[in-house]
Amino acid sequence: MGRLFAVEIVYRGIFQKNLAKNISRGIALAARHAGKMGISFGRYGDSPERNGIPAKSFAVIGTDEETLQEGMAKYEPKEVDVSIAVDDTLFKGVESWAWYGLQPINRLLRPGGTLIVTSMNGPEALIPMAHRKETPYRLAILKGTPSFSGLWVYKDDHTDVRVLGAIAKVLPDLFTIDDVEKAILEEWSAPLKVTSARKAHERITTRVVSPSEGNLEKTFEFELPKWYEMREGVSIPSIARGAAMTDPVTQQTGGYRPVRNPTFKKYTTRTMRPVVNFDTCVKCTLCWLQCPDSCFDVTPDALYDANMEACCGCGVCEAVCPVENCVTMVNETAFTDNASQWEMWKKDKPAYAAWLQEKIQHKPERSHGFRYRGQYEEQLPPMMEIAGGAGPEDESDKEG
Amino acid sequence: MADAIETTLPTQQLEAMKGVKKVPLEEFFTSGHRTCQGCESALVMKLMVKAAGPRTIVLGSTGCMYVANTTYYSTSWVVPWMHTQLGSSGSAGMGTAAALKVLMRKGKMKEEPINVIAFCGDGGGADMGLSAISAALTHPQYNFLILLYDNESYANTDIQLSGLTPYGAHTTFSPPGKAKRIMHRRWKKNVAGMLAAGHPECRYVATVDASYAVEMMNRVRKALTIGGPTFIHSLDPCPKGWDYDPMLSHELGELAVDAGVWPLYEVENGLLKLYGRTKQIAEKRARRKPVRDFLLKQGRFAHFTDDDIDYFQAKIDEMWTKWLIPGVIPFHTELDRDQPPA
Repeated sequence: MGRLFAVEIVYRGIFQKNLAKNISRGIALAARHAGKMGISFGRYGDSPERNGIPAKSFAVIGTDEETLQEGMAKYEPKEVDVSIAVDDTLFKGVESWAWYGLQPINRLLRPGGTLIVTSMNGPEALIPMAHRKETPYRLAILKGTPSFSGLWVYKDDHTDVRVLGAIAKVLPDLFTIDDVEKAILEEWSAPLKVTSARKAHERITTRVVSPSEGNLEKTFEFELPKWYEMREGVSIPSIARGAAMTDPVTQQTGGYRPVRNPTFKKYTTRTMRPVVNFDTCVKCTLCWLQCPDSCFDVTPDALYDANMEACCGCGVCEAVCPVENCVTMVNETAFTDNASQWEMWKKDKPAYAAWLQEKIQHKPERSHGFRYRGQYEEQLPPMMEIAGGAGPEDESDKEG
Repeated sequence: MADAIETTLPTQQLEAMKGVKKVPLEEFFTSGHRTCQGCESALVMKLMVKAAGPRTIVLGSTGCMYVANTTYYSTSWVVPWMHTQLGSSGSAGMGTAAALKVLMRKGKMKEEPINVIAFCGDGGGADMGLSAISAALTHPQYNFLILLYDNESYANTDIQLSGLTPYGAHTTFSPPGKAKRIMHRRWKKNVAGMLAAGHPECRYVATVDASYAVEMMNRVRKALTIGGPTFIHSLDPCPKGWDYDPMLSHELGELAVDAGVWPLYEVENGLLKLYGRTKQIAEKRARRKPVRDFLLKQGRFAHFTDDDIDYFQAKIDEMWTKWLIPGVIPFHTELDRDQPPA
């Protein structure tokens, strides 16, 4: 009986589908050069993927065929050696389908396993976002802007090979950086990608996360109804009608808050969230009317309060808002709760104004997919610079 | 008894909303559906049923708006909703309207007008379900609306091309390659024009765009109020299949109309009316934007050369300048030449 390795890649549906596929395929290819055999696959339950909704793909590697077959006899690995989060906001948890509840990012990591993340943040910001784990694990941060593109046009910022280089460092039993180099040349014929993988391999460092560190929040979960609890015709109750809201200060009632689907909340889809300047709002209704997720509660004073349990962070509200800087999309890593902004504003307006100004500093420097042709080419040089990947000087080396 | 079958029931009299301030606050399709960020089709569901109100039954054929909204044993609908098979929005809509009618006639249900809306995607409606929709539109004695939400591909199963996928678009079935760049050479079906022209008894056919929310909701209200079987075709930008930043959903919906790719019109009791931006363009009060502005914001057209863009533009120009009725009826006539001299 040989050794079985498992790696999971947690990613943003569609935005990082091609990236995750490249990583899990690259793992299987590099492992082959290390004399092992493996398979890479997407989690069946995540398909069909939706933009932003967390999804997973896996690479399972065995030192011999029998071990691999035994490992593959399961639906998906129950425990992994390495978890990779290709977007740091996934540290807040993963809600994939209805009834699954919220699952911590480190849930499948075995004791002593490594969580690799691509992020611009340091451990002091990342660790408090992830839920606490009973056993210690290691955290490895691959510095860089999380890579987002779409289904058809791939942004080749080398995140895929940088992750492979990092795995070779944190789990050398699986494969070495030389195996990664062979796999990259075989799969992509791209010497520059080898340079990026080697640089990531050199620079990646890990830090132990102890059981006393991390988010104390209890994740929400659900009990699926048993078959004998289901109603005739397997019909299910519809969502109840909503009702007026109450002002926390004046106790005035009015407006409207919809009742929401209790078994799927969608907020772990979010990488940015809207913050609203209620003092400049002209009550044009557009954010509320155009929101595909009905996430705005209408307040008694006819303002629109984005409900943070329902908002999935698409940014349409910012796009349709006619007032400058009234609705601003802010990086999700700048927040620790889902509290109502309107209630905060109602209770203490100067404090809210200060809070708002501080939050707006965290405007994300990342685009969520294709905006115009030529955009990715413009974005690549600064992204590579931050990431410390292969740069223009490496290109001239090759030519020289 | 023949009379009872042939008679039509009264409909709900839903008034047009005069501006955004008159839009009702209540939601009947709520949060917690597993659609993409910036999903315009989810917005269409929300606005459609907001316009229709609480006494409404919605039927949905297979597609994103079934799979994503009603994940196993879970729902986002406040009104009664039922799944129906991929090609059967027409039959399900008519069957439900007929069932309500007979239950009320037999006294098993209180007599009241109940809206019936059956929705389908472009795959379910324009490909598989076209014959059932066509048949349903020939039964004037039943009141129901069929709404086609068109995201221009089989989006739920990860973007295969449908009869409504535009020329040249990148889909799973039409990946551009080095030897052959354009893998989809068919032109999009003109569904609303086809159904309006082909079903003279149908009292209302319209095209809508959810970026113009109030105009869209008023078209839904008109269709439900006018009675009989009615049809609405909505163009829905799809961040997943069109490959764009979800923040741009609203903008792309507007651009489709501004570039003349998606004409807005309604055919009410046989009378054709252009409306909104399309009307302004037709009356030369607004300029049609170049289709390049619309195409190059989407990754599915990123492989287009200037020649491809010119071809696309020429086809849109033809729709506006050569069609018998611009944007609606595609053929030309030789009536002028055939007219005998006076």
